[in-house]
Amino acid sequence: MCESCVDRIFSSGPAPCPVAGCHKTLRKNRFRKQTFEDISVEREVDIRKRVMQIVDWSFSLNRREDEFDSKRAYDDFLEQREEIISNLVNGIDVAKTESDLKRYAAANMDSIRANQVRESQEAASFLEQQSFEQEQARLRRQAARQEYENERREMLAGREDVLGRLAAGSPGDASSIAREGQKVLLKKSSARRSEEDRMRQKQAALRSVEAKRAAAAGQPVTTADTAGGEEDTGFIKGLKKAKAPEPEKPYDPFGGLEPGKRDYYVLQDRYPSSWLDRIRDDVRMQAGGYDLREYYSRTLLEAFAGLGCFIDEEIPKRDTAGLALSKSVATEGAAAAVTAASSVGNAV
Amino acid sequence: MKFFIDDLPVLFPYPRIYPEQYAYMCDLKKTLDAGGHCVLEMPSGTGKTISLLSLIVAYQQFYPEHRKLIYCSRTMSEIEKALTELKALMKYRSQQLGYTEDFRALGLTSRKNLCLHPSVKREKSGTVVDARCRSLTAGFVKEKKERGEDVELCIYHEMPFCNVIIYSYHYLLDPKIAERVSRELSKDCIVVFDEAHNIDNVCIESLSIDITEDSLRKASRSAANLERKIGEMKSTDAERLQNEYAKLVEGLREAEEARDEEQFIANPILPDDLLKEAVPGNIRRAEHFVAFLKRFIEYLKMRMKVTHTISETPPSFLAHLKDLTFIERKPLRFCAERLTSLVRTLELLNLEDYHSLQEVATFATLVATYDKGFLLILEPFESETATVPNPVLHFTCLDAAIAIKPVFDRFSSVIITSGTLSPLEMYPKMLGFTAVLQESYSMTLARRSFLPMIVTRGSDQAQISSSFQIRNDPGVVRNYGNLLLEFCRITPDGIVVFFPSYLYMESIISMWQGMGILDQIWNYKLILVETPDSQESSLALETYRTACCNGRGAVLLCVARGKVSEGIDFDHHYGRAVICIGVPFQYTESRILKARLEFLRENYRIRENDFLSFDAMRHAAQCLGRVLRGKDDYGIMVLADRRFQKKRTQLPKWISQALLESETNLSTDMAVATAKNFLRTMAQPFKAKDQEGISTWSLAELEQHVAKQKEEQARLMREAAANDQMNNGAHGATVQREEFDDDIDEELMMLDAD
Repeated sequence: MCESCVDRIFSSGPAPCPVAGCHKTLRKNRFRKQTFEDISVEREVDIRKRVMQIVDWSFSLNRREDEFDSKRAYDDFLEQREEIISNLVNGIDVAKTESDLKRYAAANMDSIRANQVRESQEAASFLEQQSFEQEQARLRRQAARQEYENERREMLAGREDVLGRLAAGSPGDASSIAREGQKVLLKKSSARRSEEDRMRQKQAALRSVEAKRAAAAGQPVTTADTAGGEEDTGFIKGLKKAKAPEPEKPYDPFGGLEPGKRDYYVLQDRYPSSWLDRIRDDVRMQAGGYDLREYYSRTLLEAFAGLGCFIDEEIPKRDTAGLALSKSVATEGAAAAVTAASSVGNAV
Repeated sequence: MKFFIDDLPVLFPYPRIYPEQYAYMCDLKKTLDAGGHCVLEMPSGTGKTISLLSLIVAYQQFYPEHRKLIYCSRTMSEIEKALTELKALMKYRSQQLGYTEDFRALGLTSRKNLCLHPSVKREKSGTVVDARCRSLTAGFVKEKKERGEDVELCIYHEMPFCNVIIYSYHYLLDPKIAERVSRELSKDCIVVFDEAHNIDNVCIESLSIDITEDSLRKASRSAANLERKIGEMKSTDAERLQNEYAKLVEGLREAEEARDEEQFIANPILPDDLLKEAVPGNIRRAEHFVAFLKRFIEYLKMRMKVTHTISETPPSFLAHLKDLTFIERKPLRFCAERLTSLVRTLELLNLEDYHSLQEVATFATLVATYDKGFLLILEPFESETATVPNPVLHFTCLDAAIAIKPVFDRFSSVIITSGTLSPLEMYPKMLGFTAVLQESYSMTLARRSFLPMIVTRGSDQAQISSSFQIRNDPGVVRNYGNLLLEFCRITPDGIVVFFPSYLYMESIISMWQGMGILDQIWNYKLILVETPDSQESSLALETYRTACCNGRGAVLLCVARGKVSEGIDFDHHYGRAVICIGVPFQYTESRILKARLEFLRENYRIRENDFLSFDAMRHAAQCLGRVLRGKDDYGIMVLADRRFQKKRTQLPKWISQALLESETNLSTDMAVATAKNFLRTMAQPFKAKDQEGISTWSLAELEQHVAKQKEEQARLMREAAANDQMNNGAHGATVQREEFDDDIDEELMMLDAD
């Protein structure tokens, strides 16, 4: 409808639709400009807006891919959504579909909200990043122009300088002056080049840091942990079950490793040994705080070290890693440990 | 003649060989052995194609792998030339070997030229042949045959192995065509890009898409058509649609497997990660997909209604698209693939009608796939002064490396060669590959058969240049006119003149008319002008040839980036002089060029001015090369602009070597005197015998050369060994001194350049 007609008919509040046979009541403020040429596409987009929950909170099919078990389930959901939209567009089963959607929306209010928040966050961070990039590009462009200007100016200055000196000097050293000037120019340009390189490296480093930061910022702060309606009406299939986060365990500094635990032996207070007995009784040894149990524990540890390893199985693995050198060393060490263990065993 | 390079016997169909041809073949062989890419610059008219073909054919036949050769050239006439050369070579080979080898070469062109079908080949129009061919050869026809139905099959379907394939660049670079034609080429093929000085532009064009309002209208019409067809099919053969749907649910697995086995060449429109995924659910059903396409087209139509120029990056385009139409990136990426699948299911025959729709779908896929290297530019008006809007959406590719990447990734040896590739390091940089060999060959000449000159001043000592500030200065224009007039007076037969642009050519010609210069030229030569219209130009070219043949002589005024400058030869009397008026820079105000320059600077560290000057000089060199097409040919090359003096180093090696120091800063009268002298020398009788041993080698001379080379090598080896034994201190000292010498040389060069 043209603008003046809208003004004429609806300026005094809501009025019935002027199309014959249509009994809807229309308001002026609900009229708006048509975006698309094709009216059917315009209608479709309107319905999409409703379904995707942009206007008036009616329906809310804004599930995201990470809320689904598999890609397949997500695809099925997408198709279902498409089906709903086309039904609404073509006027098939409108009443039923709408009531379905409403029920779904009421049941899953939380996750809908959360997804909406995420969406807007993403949009915002995208905009931010975009403007940041534009700014960066502008700066780089400026820098390039500046660089070019500088180079030009320096070159001109250098040439002027050489000309001045040529004019002032005697004819004999003209060639040397020219050569010198050339050399200065070359040196300058190479210095500038290295300077540029340094700057570039710095910029690149900065850029990567910024990119990282931006990426970190771009990540949604909260994940919609409320995914999956509690009393799912079976409307959308394949949603991930909502997982309650596991309760945190007390902090364990060793990461599950017990410090005093020994697998193969029990450490005793005393082992009979003729040459160790002397040490036990020697005051000179004891005075410094030397404890023979330290020695026992170390020896036994060394003796049993490598017992849980199966060299035959590990060698192929190591070969794939390609560390031939370390292999031989390790095998030797293990073999030594085994012999030591047997000797200690004898002693026990 | 038959000779050996290392252990490889090469049969060369001529009794004599140029030294540079031999060097070229040696380097080619090295590259093929090493298995890498190379960039080779060989002077025009020194038999590049035949040396390339004879070496590679010898290589194919001698080594057991039988690596296939894919030879890509630019124009139809070059492809034909290559085919005749190959035919002659094979004839010679069978004569020499005494038997005919099992060898098959294929030159690909349009169906119109190739079709062997008794009734189809009688059709005259290309599109009709295409349509009829498709109806006879489409994939489902083949299936029917397999099912035992009685249908004809095309002979080309039963084609056995080919040793050589010759076709145009587009068959390998344009992803739409490459997908069909070049997909199954094996990994060890040898790919040659001949006349490759423009390859970056070809790459860019093959991925750039221009969308107009008209094409959008057509696209939406075909979308409506599709919808109707789907409706029909639903009522008649719903099962087929269901089958397609089921296949799409499973994903594009098949293609993925095929690519895993590396049977197919990758396609930039169909990226690898896309194959691993199934088609997104919202375009799985045919009717949903059509609605999706319609929405996208409507969106584009809406975007076209702007009044000012917009340029934006793909991500921001996508964001806006999503805001308005809820089209997400994911389904957009699958657009092209989905459309192909749908067309196949519906068994559509007249694909021509769906061309625009396909273009839109390709655009959708590209815009959603690449964040970087592309730019959308929306221009509402055709030119600055136009008032009637005719909006065009340019989707331009800025990165030449994207289109050619699959080629470099797939094939182990890619050879890029042309007469003018200087500076060589620019190409690996722009196309994103590393070359194992970069070589530029000079031209060995028994006499100085071409005369390059740089004219910087007119006879009145005023500088001449086509730079923007002074290009329409009457003094400059008059000086250019006088230059042309003088050369018309002294040069026999044909002269070719190149201008930087049509616009400038028109303005300068009208000014010459006013000054009476054209009337004077008329006394000596016929004047012919190239126009953007190709028919008119070819008529002008024909007249020019006639005038050159019958002795009247003619001058052809043309444009450095036009049709004449590429691919048309002016050998012998067709071109005795070429005059390049002004440096042929690109039109720098175009937004597309600006965007590309910025991209090159940011990503490849190529500065704007460097690229512009490189581009201008490669076109200038192309123009100059037109006139010299062989060793018995001669010609004058005049570069008429003040700025050429500094750009001298960017000319190809073979031209810049022939350019004497004394001839780089001439005024018109001096240039004319030099040219007169040159022409007088050239008029002396010149026998083929004079060339022997210098610029052509017989077999004996070649063998001599090889022996000498070997000796040299042995001597070098001995010396190196001896040097190693000597103490290192002395060695270091010599090196230092050498460096110092280099320094001085460089300085002197810089001085010259200034």
